[in-house]
Amino acid sequence: MRWSKRRTIRKLDYMRKLNRVESEETPTFTCDLGHNEDLLRKTFRNCADVEYRKIGDDRSEHCLVVYIENLIDKKMLDEHVIKPLLTSLVSNREIHDVTEFMNKTLPVGSMNISRDAAETTGHILEGYAAVLTQGSCKVLTVSLPGTSHRSIEESSTEPVIRGAKDGFIEQLSTNLSLIRLRLKTPKLKIEYITLGEHTRTRVAVLYLEGIAQDSLVDEVRRRVKPIQLNGVVDSEYIEECIEDQPFSPFPQLQSTERPDVVTAELLEGRVAILVDTSPFALVAPMTLWSGLQASEDYYIRWPIATFVRWIRFLFVNFAIFAPSLYVAITTFHQEMIPTNLVLSIAAAREGVPFPAMIEALLLELTFEALREAGIRLPKTIGQAISIVGGIVIGQAAVQAGFISSPVVIIVSITGISSFVIPRYSFANGIRLLRFPMLFLAGALGLYGIVLGYLLILLHLTSLRSFGMLYLSPIVPIKFTALRDILVRVPIWANSRFKPKFHQEGANE
Amino acid sequence: MKRIKWLILLQIFFLSGCWDRMEINELALVTGTAIDLKKNGNLEVSLQVALPSSADGGHGEGKDGKFFVISVEGKNGNEIHQKLQEKSTRKLFLSHRSVVYISETLAKEGLNGVLDIFIHDPRNRLKTYLIMVKGSEAKDILQMDYPLKQVPIETVKALQISGGELAVTIRDFYIALESEGIQPVMSVIEVDNQSKSKNQLFNFMGAGVFKDLKLAGVLNEEDLLGFMWTTNKLNYGRVTAYLPDGRGEVGLIVTHASSKIITHTEQGSAKFKIMLSGQGGLVENNSTLNVSDPEEMKQIKHALEDAVKKQVQRFIAKIQKDYNTDSIGFGHEIYKKAPKQWEAMRNQWDELFPKAEIGVEVKLRINGSGMVNPTFGKYHGMVTE
Repeated sequence: MRWSKRRTIRKLDYMRKLNRVESEETPTFTCDLGHNEDLLRKTFRNCADVEYRKIGDDRSEHCLVVYIENLIDKKMLDEHVIKPLLTSLVSNREIHDVTEFMNKTLPVGSMNISRDAAETTGHILEGYAAVLTQGSCKVLTVSLPGTSHRSIEESSTEPVIRGAKDGFIEQLSTNLSLIRLRLKTPKLKIEYITLGEHTRTRVAVLYLEGIAQDSLVDEVRRRVKPIQLNGVVDSEYIEECIEDQPFSPFPQLQSTERPDVVTAELLEGRVAILVDTSPFALVAPMTLWSGLQASEDYYIRWPIATFVRWIRFLFVNFAIFAPSLYVAITTFHQEMIPTNLVLSIAAAREGVPFPAMIEALLLELTFEALREAGIRLPKTIGQAISIVGGIVIGQAAVQAGFISSPVVIIVSITGISSFVIPRYSFANGIRLLRFPMLFLAGALGLYGIVLGYLLILLHLTSLRSFGMLYLSPIVPIKFTALRDILVRVPIWANSRFKPKFHQEGANE
Repeated sequence: MKRIKWLILLQIFFLSGCWDRMEINELALVTGTAIDLKKNGNLEVSLQVALPSSADGGHGEGKDGKFFVISVEGKNGNEIHQKLQEKSTRKLFLSHRSVVYISETLAKEGLNGVLDIFIHDPRNRLKTYLIMVKGSEAKDILQMDYPLKQVPIETVKALQISGGELAVTIRDFYIALESEGIQPVMSVIEVDNQSKSKNQLFNFMGAGVFKDLKLAGVLNEEDLLGFMWTTNKLNYGRVTAYLPDGRGEVGLIVTHASSKIITHTEQGSAKFKIMLSGQGGLVENNSTLNVSDPEEMKQIKHALEDAVKKQVQRFIAKIQKDYNTDSIGFGHEIYKKAPKQWEAMRNQWDELFPKAEIGVEVKLRINGSGMVNPTFGKYHGMVTE
């Protein structure tokens, strides 16, 4: 733990050095409208999307509205800002005090008053309209959000048959609303942190007070706040900055596109991190088992869910070990195969020019290439890839005698097994592990597999995610928690679903 | 310090591992071995090597041979193995060898010095079955044109499926050989010359009784039942009894058989009682007796018990008087129960064993009487005395 903490601190120091921000003198607004306008025009020079709407007669400008046209709702602006301003102009009432104007005239919910030019600039960039008036030293900013965004759709990375079909989108406010819809309690706390020097991305830290441990929330805050990057484009940027062990193939934060998953995790006392412009929420801490659980486990009947879990446990091992076991046994331990099987494998390998290990490696790499090509290609061309992959590699290579059919079977099983893992980022780590295993098996036989397995096990037992052991509750063993790991007991029998709010409240 | 730790850890990758890498298609998979004795006193060892190219039965190219046989003559196992390897382009792989056939002539001459290579060389499996080939050369059985092609593999299947055949592995043979007061046995196979069909067949012929690694005699199938039952190896056996006064015959399938040997030693002599018990179902009733009648059932039971008793007694007499070989392990029973007396008897056991009094007691339980109660075609009313 201490070691990983030290590493985290070292990482943060490094980032700080990289992005040392020289704090500039921030200019403030004066009571002169012309000066204030110049200030903003200077800040937004060459920004074609910034609009300046002057309100007033020819002789003297009365007031000025500054906004970015693509970020705000034009209709709202006309209705709620321009119109009242014009009315006041017609009635010839001069606006000297913006506070009064705000309180009496503007029918808008969210607004802010500031003298600080930097703050106002920031607000304009976030989709506020700034109202500058002659004679006032303060600037009023009015929130008029009106960006276009994707509608809420079913998550494409975590589809379910039964269960909620909504998924996060690229807009933080919508995503937060999806969670708030599910957790109608004031105990759901949302804290904003703005990260990224240029992107000014808003990051929300969510937790349920009284359920999430304070130490965990503090730890998340402690790790997220000091992040200094010049831009945060996706939640992965945050994930890589705050994870415990950057060199592990296993993800230490669970990423999900589903608000119901985030809700369930919050109810279990975890902390969620949502990043604006990214549809993927991060959940901490993560364990190995949550990498093997799908949200649908809790939406189907428990015996089936338990069965499916065991299928996953079985096939996650296949995904890591199947090719290496095949290579080790056929090249080192032929005596372990039943006689009839060894004869048919030998028959299939007759005339194949490559050693089994090279054969498996070639085919595994081809499979990875196919998979990658299938993801990157447009969907219409994707079919062509599957035809090429299935027929050319699967059949023609075997018939031509380049590759033996048992290897094709093994690689296919491995491929299917890696798709059985429900969490995408976790599956990626598992997929990667089979290559070192393959090399170990090809060089050292079953002994190499045992070594590799031991190394993975050692790594997993020492891995932590936000203070939680990655293998918990198996290591350290906690028998009552196994009810939700090895099996999926009915909801009513699972302590995870029993309300804890009242108990906590009674203690306070 | 940390770097040194990592270096030490890395050594497990560089200093260890299985370095006998061998692709599966670089191996000659030996399925069976036959050992013959040549007239000049040399051993002839034949290996049956599986041809992997046609094992899948696939494309039907060329001859549909599934194996070929390499034969080599030599004086000892090591020399022979060397010669065999020279004859094979691929590395001989013995782990899948299921059977070692030994010819009758070699068995009679003695297996001294033949079997040692099977236990010293770790590439050999102790689970390999030992089978004596009666009547013909052992090599013939490897080369025979059996419809199901690979005789060794089929032999093993037959041994594993049937519960009444004697299946002796090299390990079993050695355990018996090295134990006190017991002599090893070996299953016996024979090429079936009687069948007129084009295909050659083989069948099991009981057990070969060895004494001091030399074949002392061969037990037939009837004796084998007695052997299997007394040694507690019987899983499945058929017993037929002829009822007294010519009232027909009844057949029983024994499915649960067990035995117990009670020893009684006195100064210079030994007495044994073999307690055989078994359960089974009646499968044949050609007698006039009505099996649904408990009284008449009792008669059937007694007849069957008698039949078993006689069968076992005949077998005991054979090994005791004819072969003078303690294949059952009566001596071993004494060794277990009275080790001190065995110490005294051990050296004279060859003289004592034929003189030992061996009683047989059989207890049967007939669980089922089959689907039809009386004999087929006979009804209750028609059953007469």
